[in-house]
Amino acid sequence: MEIAIPPDLVFVILAAVTLIAAVLALQAKELIYGAIALGISFIGIAGFFVFLDAPYLAMLQIAVYVGAVVVLILFTIMLVRREQSDELLDRPEGGQGAVGLWLAGLLAVAIAGVAALAGPNLPAAPPAGNLPVSSLGLVLAAEYPIPLVILALLISAALLGALVLAKVEK
Amino acid sequence: MVSLTSYLIVSAALLGIGIYGLSVKRNAIRILFAIEIIVNAANLNFAAFTRYLDPPLVSGQVIVFYSIAAAAMEAAVGLALILIAFRLNSSIDVRKLNKLKG
Repeated sequence: MEIAIPPDLVFVILAAVTLIAAVLALQAKELIYGAIALGISFIGIAGFFVFLDAPYLAMLQIAVYVGAVVVLILFTIMLVRREQSDELLDRPEGGQGAVGLWLAGLLAVAIAGVAALAGPNLPAAPPAGNLPVSSLGLVLAAEYPIPLVILALLISAALLGALVLAKVEK
Repeated sequence: MVSLTSYLIVSAALLGIGIYGLSVKRNAIRILFAIEIIVNAANLNFAAFTRYLDPPLVSGQVIVFYSIAAAAMEAAVGLALILIAFRLNSSIDVRKLNKLKG
């Protein structure tokens, strides 16, 4: 027996998980918990990609963000952690927290307002179009071969740069 | 069905959370978290727009592909910078990283 789950419900749950995890990533007392919450938020974004018929992006998101970036961040936290609590370091001074909250809130409300105003002109439902996973590879290889090579060079340069930066000089 | 506007609103909320973190936090690693959250909000927008407005093509997905790769590199270099800052300053409080101040 198949249970029909309304897509709206899935969307709302995904959005709640992503947003709450993003807030927790910034507000968690321990930096380690923050990093884990960041990973959960990235998994939520991967869920959105599945929803948007982009399974390859979802896989890439989990492999690169959850698999590599979060682990890298966890290692760095262990390297730079000190006994003193991070809470002290992260407490906003004076009215800074309120100013940041207002700035971010106004910006988000403005953008969301524009999106909501434009809502009637935007498509309410995605047009039918079954995109095979291979279409992304075809477009990448056929239309954007040179950016792909430049990306490879950029990755090598960034990795070498990170190694040189983090090297301990004797 | 889920409308495009819902994705845009989620993305705007993520952007707001990221901007808040950027403007308030003092721990360099938290600031890196905020940057990653903002990059993810942008990626979500690209994927949503390409799905709703450009269905047979996947140009937005190509941009997200490059963006994810660039964000991974940015995290690697940023964390290396944080390591040096910690080694030189024994602190990753960005308000204390003022050695370049004249």
